[in-house]
Amino acid sequence: MPKATQPAVYNSRNLGMVMPFSSRRFRSLWMIAILLPAAFSFGQNWSGPAEQLAGKIVAVMGTQAITVEVSNRSSLAAASADEIRRGLLTQLAVHGARFASAQQAAASVQVSLSENLQSYVWVAEVRQGTNAPAVVMVSFPRAASVAVEPAGFAMVLHKVELWSQPERILDVAALEGSPAKMLVLDASGVIAYRLQDGRWQAEQPLPIAHSRPWPRDLRGRLVLAKDLSAKDRRFDAYLPGVFCRSTSPEAMTCYDGDQAWPIGNDLAGLNASFTASRNYFSGVLSPGVGKQTTVPPFYSAAGLLRDQPPGDKYAVWLFAAVEGQLHLLNGSTDQVVTDAAWGSDIAALHSGCGSGWQVLATGAGDAANDAVRAFELPGRTPVAMSAPLDIGGRVTAMWAESSGAGVVTIMHNSRTGEYEALRLTATCGR
Amino acid sequence: MKRCALLLLAAASCLYGVVALASTRPHYGGTLRLAVREAPISLYPADPSQSDSPVMRSLYRLIFDTLVILDARGLPQPGLAVSWQADPGNQRWQFAIRHGVSFQDGIAVSPDAVAGSLRAANPNWKIFAAGEGIVIECDAPTANLPAILALPRYGIAKRTGGKLIGSGPFAVKQWDPGKKLSLAAREDYWAGRAFVDAIEIEMGKTFRDQILEFDLGKADVVEVAPDQARRLAAEGRGIRSSAAAEWMGLVFRDDLRPDLSRDEAPDGQSTVEKLRTALAFSIDRDSMNNVLLQGGGEPAGALLPNWMTGYAFLFPTAADMQRAQLTRGEVPQAPAWSLSYDVSDPLARVIAERVVLNARDAGLRLQAVSSATADVSLLRVPLASLDAEVALTNLAAKLGLPQPKFDGDPPAALYAAENALLQSQRIIPLLYLRPAVAVRANVRDWTEDQVGEWDLQTVWMETEKP
Repeated sequence: MPKATQPAVYNSRNLGMVMPFSSRRFRSLWMIAILLPAAFSFGQNWSGPAEQLAGKIVAVMGTQAITVEVSNRSSLAAASADEIRRGLLTQLAVHGARFASAQQAAASVQVSLSENLQSYVWVAEVRQGTNAPAVVMVSFPRAASVAVEPAGFAMVLHKVELWSQPERILDVAALEGSPAKMLVLDASGVIAYRLQDGRWQAEQPLPIAHSRPWPRDLRGRLVLAKDLSAKDRRFDAYLPGVFCRSTSPEAMTCYDGDQAWPIGNDLAGLNASFTASRNYFSGVLSPGVGKQTTVPPFYSAAGLLRDQPPGDKYAVWLFAAVEGQLHLLNGSTDQVVTDAAWGSDIAALHSGCGSGWQVLATGAGDAANDAVRAFELPGRTPVAMSAPLDIGGRVTAMWAESSGAGVVTIMHNSRTGEYEALRLTATCGR
Repeated sequence: MKRCALLLLAAASCLYGVVALASTRPHYGGTLRLAVREAPISLYPADPSQSDSPVMRSLYRLIFDTLVILDARGLPQPGLAVSWQADPGNQRWQFAIRHGVSFQDGIAVSPDAVAGSLRAANPNWKIFAAGEGIVIECDAPTANLPAILALPRYGIAKRTGGKLIGSGPFAVKQWDPGKKLSLAAREDYWAGRAFVDAIEIEMGKTFRDQILEFDLGKADVVEVAPDQARRLAAEGRGIRSSAAAEWMGLVFRDDLRPDLSRDEAPDGQSTVEKLRTALAFSIDRDSMNNVLLQGGGEPAGALLPNWMTGYAFLFPTAADMQRAQLTRGEVPQAPAWSLSYDVSDPLARVIAERVVLNARDAGLRLQAVSSATADVSLLRVPLASLDAEVALTNLAAKLGLPQPKFDGDPPAALYAAENALLQSQRIIPLLYLRPAVAVRANVRDWTEDQVGEWDLQTVWMETEKP
């Protein structure tokens, strides 16, 4: 909050300017993320606040002999609280405090590790004699927590954190090469980030102009142009009622239009019309699944290549319909899949495990944290191929990568309030 | 070995089955039916005679936009204003107004209209349109003006054809003051059309009437008294409780009784202050919360709850009857105090009765009355904002306390201001209550913020599956 000691300023994001990097946070390097299927932790440095609080405590009670007790009233894990306690004792010693037993101490310090909506709040109550305690405190912003990943199942899903920011992310796409690049699509535009000296540097933002208000539950997709080098890689961005095409790495042109969105990948491609004022696809397909060019309105789709009998490859498509059912199209029939308690978001994954192709699906519930699980469809009943993978928030988008080897998943982390982009992949075997 | 592995797999499957829940994307359409106790006769958000409850604030936000909104952490975010900046000193502020926003009559929201609306809401500020925005000159440095402007009372309103309209996500379709409000979603709302087509609100319904309508399928969401939430949940209704967001406590009249205040004790405490201290020590807040409230709140020792400040635990809440009796014993003669409460509030009645009993155990005489001029009043005040400074300022005003001053950086400045109010011994905090609602299963993505305001723009209705 702005304080009287400094002019209070807030300016919303100006699309004509480079975004300040501090408002966004990358979680792990994209290229590292691709190579290492493990989540990165992002711990918090406690030394600064500990030093600050130690200084305030010593300013109150001088360098007398003290006893110190630390209690954790926050969401911090016990290990973190212990680390903070050790750090605080070290800093108190650095500031000249001496530690003694309760009988010999001239003062006692009760430190409480607390928190409020925005910050950690560390409070020290300094008691000397029978006087009322002096209270000093420090506060600093809370960091995100680290998710725990399950393991040990026949086919294991992995998630790698790619990017996070306060604004809703619609899609991200990687541009391999040197230097590596990443595109982030949100409601205001596309920002390219370039990996330089191990840090992502924001390039010129490319704003998206639109004449109509965006619908709620906004959706959007980035599609990279094929066969171009990373240096001049171009892309298309699809949003409700708006189509954008990058004409060069530094420019993008947008216009109102109902271009069909590509909803598959390089191996199983399909286009579908999106309803401009809503959050779903209308059900009109192009060129269609075989002879089938319409399905009921749907939220998401997954195309799976089948090779049965061997040598006879064809694609079947699953559609998570708005009315809650799951439709399986094979080019001639539209079957309703039974016993699938799936949510609205599905995407195809070419893992090479099992039949080679799986559907990643959220579940059908109303929990704060979504879980994603891999399934195959040998018939009309899905068979689970992996344990559910806790995403750590509510999924807002799932898009198959063009290669099919990964699924970009966007989720809203209710703990941090941020949107996070994840890459989901799978490894075979237990 | 293989059997063992299968058992482990089965156990792990059960474990992960717990987290194997996820969401369905929001559906458009449907009508959300609410029943509430509030019975406003006006929809004007700056009307000082209207209630400032979370319910009313939630309803105002459906019709009127504010320049600023607070996010879930209480941080200001752009609303009708896309940016803002303060001159040095934080007394003069400039706000740039969002383009492409219209009132419900289709007329664009102009800086002139915004300035006019805010002038009516706060005549103490000098407000005028300037280019693409407005300028606000406050009567004093106001570092947290953006958070203040996020209060619904600063919703941008316009009168046209005798009707009050706003630029919010819903338009008023029918308004029967104090009885019923019908709202229709605006297709052209700048932040996106709401998911539901319409919202219908039945007003002036008691808790009993509301739960009856809920059980009969006539309402989708109804309010639930904090002390009833646990029982109704146990009976299988979908109950949602927000954070402890309503302060309940005792407030002493400002004017000390002359015959008591003259008698100063050696320790500096007047007899009145000793008696107030004895009363504060006598109150068994844990019992009030666990027994009377059935866990529908939290014991309070401060004005603001710990989730908002991070330091409320510094103010003790535990009863100390021995100390209460000792302190009471230092005053030879204690007068009988009258204690007033809202007689229409059953919860206030039982809490007031318990305060009287606790006081009696300490040797104090309190008599519960319905008079408005009692020595002590039992009050309930909802927290007005997620911004701690705004919430404390509003709470102090509602309790008749001096306006807090914030000198320095939070949270130390906030603590100093709140501690000063508590040290005045004008108040004895009792409880923080948790507002609760019963929500039907077909109402999805129901959310309320920490101070109990509902986000009705993101709610959607699940239709029956074929």
